Amino acid sequence: MPSINLDDLTTNNLGVFKKIFGVTLPIEYSEDWYANSFDSDQIVKLAFYSELPVGAMKAKLLNIESFQGNFDNFNTSKLVSKSIPNAVYLETLSVLESYRNLGIGEKLLNYLIEETTKRFVHEIIIHVHVENTKAIDWYKKHGFVEKELLKDYYKSKGLTNPDAYILSLKV
Amino acid sequence: MIRKPILTSKEDQNFQEALKLYDQKQYKKSLKLVDQNLKKHSHAESLTLKGCINYQLGNKSECESYILKGIEKDKDNYMVNHLAGIYYRSIENYTESAKWLKAAVDNGSPNKQILRDLSILQSQIRDFKNLTTSRQQYLDFQPGYRANWTGAAIAFHLNKNYNSAYSTLTKIETIIKDHLQESDMYEQSECCLYKNDILFDAGNISKALEDLEKDQSYIKDKLAYLSYKAKYLMILGNSKEASVIYRKLIQRNPDDIDNYKNLEICLGTSDWEVEKRAKLYEKLARFYPKADVPKFLPLVFIPSTNKLFKSKVSEYILSQLKRGVPATFVNIKPVLKNAKKLKIVEEIVEEFYGSIGQYDPTVKLWTMYFISQLNYFKAKSDSKFLEESMKWIDLAIEHSPTLVELYLFKSRILKTQGKVVEASEFIDQGRQMDLQDRFVNSKTVKYYLRANNIDKAMELISLFTKLDKDAINGCKDLHTMQVNWFLTESAEAYSRLYHQYQEELNSLPEDTDEEIVNDLKEKVDINKGLAIKRFLAVVKIFGIFVNDQFDFHSYCLRRGTPRHYVQTIKWEDEVHSTPIFVRVIKGLSKICFEIYDEQKVKKEEEPIKIKKNNKKQKKAKAQFLKQKEDLIKKVESEKDDSDPLGTKVLNDLVNNSNGDIIDNLLNLTSTLINEAKDYKITWELSFKLNLIKCKYILCLQALKNLKDKIDEDELKQLIQTLSDQVSADETTNNAIKMVVEKGLASAFPDL
Repeated sequence: MPSINLDDLTTNNLGVFKKIFGVTLPIEYSEDWYANSFDSDQIVKLAFYSELPVGAMKAKLLNIESFQGNFDNFNTSKLVSKSIPNAVYLETLSVLESYRNLGIGEKLLNYLIEETTKRFVHEIIIHVHVENTKAIDWYKKHGFVEKELLKDYYKSKGLTNPDAYILSLKV
Repeated sequence: MIRKPILTSKEDQNFQEALKLYDQKQYKKSLKLVDQNLKKHSHAESLTLKGCINYQLGNKSECESYILKGIEKDKDNYMVNHLAGIYYRSIENYTESAKWLKAAVDNGSPNKQILRDLSILQSQIRDFKNLTTSRQQYLDFQPGYRANWTGAAIAFHLNKNYNSAYSTLTKIETIIKDHLQESDMYEQSECCLYKNDILFDAGNISKALEDLEKDQSYIKDKLAYLSYKAKYLMILGNSKEASVIYRKLIQRNPDDIDNYKNLEICLGTSDWEVEKRAKLYEKLARFYPKADVPKFLPLVFIPSTNKLFKSKVSEYILSQLKRGVPATFVNIKPVLKNAKKLKIVEEIVEEFYGSIGQYDPTVKLWTMYFISQLNYFKAKSDSKFLEESMKWIDLAIEHSPTLVELYLFKSRILKTQGKVVEASEFIDQGRQMDLQDRFVNSKTVKYYLRANNIDKAMELISLFTKLDKDAINGCKDLHTMQVNWFLTESAEAYSRLYHQYQEELNSLPEDTDEEIVNDLKEKVDINKGLAIKRFLAVVKIFGIFVNDQFDFHSYCLRRGTPRHYVQTIKWEDEVHSTPIFVRVIKGLSKICFEIYDEQKVKKEEEPIKIKKNNKKQKKAKAQFLKQKEDLIKKVESEKDDSDPLGTKVLNDLVNNSNGDIIDNLLNLTSTLINEAKDYKITWELSFKLNLIKCKYILCLQALKNLKDKIDEDELKQLIQTLSDQVSADETTNNAIKMVVEKGLASAFPDL
């Protein structure tokens, strides 16, 4: 049985990280967004299948009070230094199409849950595009609950139906 | 009793004092004393010493003249001889140095250390005959060191004096036997094996075997012991015992293909049925399930028509694809030269691909990669398969866009299609996913150089060089690290750029703005200069390779590694047949011939007057100088490079400053003629150069060597060229003409 392993992101394999998100996501992230992957408020990881990098995850700590706005101002905002983080925001979690349904995403998610509790934080939240029913089902299967619908969240990114769901997982 | 004149003794005293100071590296003080001596009289020893001092003080133009004066005055003076030897050694003229050191010994120098230095020089210039004498003399002087015995034996061996070599080694062995310490055991082992090599070279195999068994307890290198023994037994016709040892060797290393081949020779499998041979390997494969060779070799000897082939090759390939072995195709490639076998392999993989869904996704990926490589292989005989290859690699990349190997391979296809720029950009995408992989980095650099993007290539390779604090890139490091592939590829890139600009320049309409013309001319010169400079950098590195042996002539004796020393000597003897060196000479000679052709034209042409447009030109020039400065920083090959752009080398070549350009090329080519006889280019160059020099006999020799290296039409043309020029030549001696014509007729009766 081929092995599934997780490994750290480094400056030397950042290109793989970009590649995975580049081919799996309908929206493009900025260079700055990738560059801040090594900041202390970040939880990032790569997943390998038979030593081939096929999955990636990027999340950050934040205070739930600041959890507002649309895609642009949200993804560029950082944790205000004085506020205490009380949630982990999962920015992206992707697995290459050919390697789905093999337990790779689950392994990444479990890692995230572990890291979240280590930081004494008990909630993971995400935005999911309303049209992405596969992802919504997947997250629900893993215990996430639907919270609210955000109108026009992805508007600036030019998606056809720019609304997004907020899903949350208590850990 | 005759008293020596006081004056002489005073001079000698001064000289002795000066010599002492010289040995203590107090060159200036030493010079003072020497000059005092020379003020009144010309004192031979002082003259030669002055030459040496001047060399050490960096006054290089005033060395040899003093040495020569000293020799002229008293050439039988061993002190003069010794100093001359030292001087010639420091300017790396080893032949001359050996000559004078030998003279010092012959003229009765009491300094026995000269023998040591002399033997090193004789080894360097391969004067084995005289080497035996000096090594023997040094051994007589200092028999207490084993190294000196080994040294004498090596000298005898290299001079093919096997009996003396053998008896020298045996003698020291018997002397030392009872005094061996634990720390001497490695040397003892190596010397025993070396003694065995000598017997083998002398053709005395049974004695070699006998000694090998006798020395078995000393021999630490068990692998060598077994290989030697098996080889001897086989030559002596004892195949049965030899086969047992080859089986032992296979057990030690089941991945060494030679052991299997030798085993087959011992077993006499050449008249076995295919099935029986296959059975042998089945058995071996069961013994060594992890080894590739016993699975692979049957695929070579089982004919495609035998049904065993299909089942075996299928098992071989599919098990690797299922395990995800990236090198599956490379492993099977040698078998595919056989077109029928290729067809079978293709069918097997196609069928496998049809049922790929049941395996994990990486199996599909590796199979697509395999099919792409297979089509690339087929494209060598029919380029239409290149597209098919591209189709499959694109599918593979879509499936697994994070696998760097796929990017390397797609770039290779692009390169083969002639799309060098796309290839370099695409391979860089792969590189960006794994910045710490030196192999991928080097490949990317090579592709950028192929696309003539030297700046980008330099930027990327500098990620892996030392990079001193103030260095702007790794160019200097690449020179000191002797990165021949990079230097050669960049030389070729500069050469392509120079030809490109030259063509642009030639196709400009007559009334083109002067500024544009001058700009292009500069570009031509810079790229031409840099191409020559980089090519010459590799030539220089090969010179260093040859000089690097120098220390090993004594070091290997002290370390007790005579076997490896002799191997190194043999390797060095053919170091100029290394493909990269041949390639460099090829590239360099192309530019030299172009310069030579220009020289011929220029002699006939009047120099063209250049109109001046001062103001505009000045401004352009200032801007240009700034650019040039930036460029120089980037291309310097050493610190404070005096000729960063190769302008001087180029001018020297154009003006024949360092001798005739064709003579210089002949010099370079002579190393190829001596060491790289198997290359076509060696003899093509020899022909072309000697034709220019009207050395027709040498042309004939080149043609004879080209006979089986080029096709008949080409050969015919060359023969015609030669015989035309010979018959038209009125200055050459008729006898020589006859020799050439007769030689041509007898060497090529059908052409």
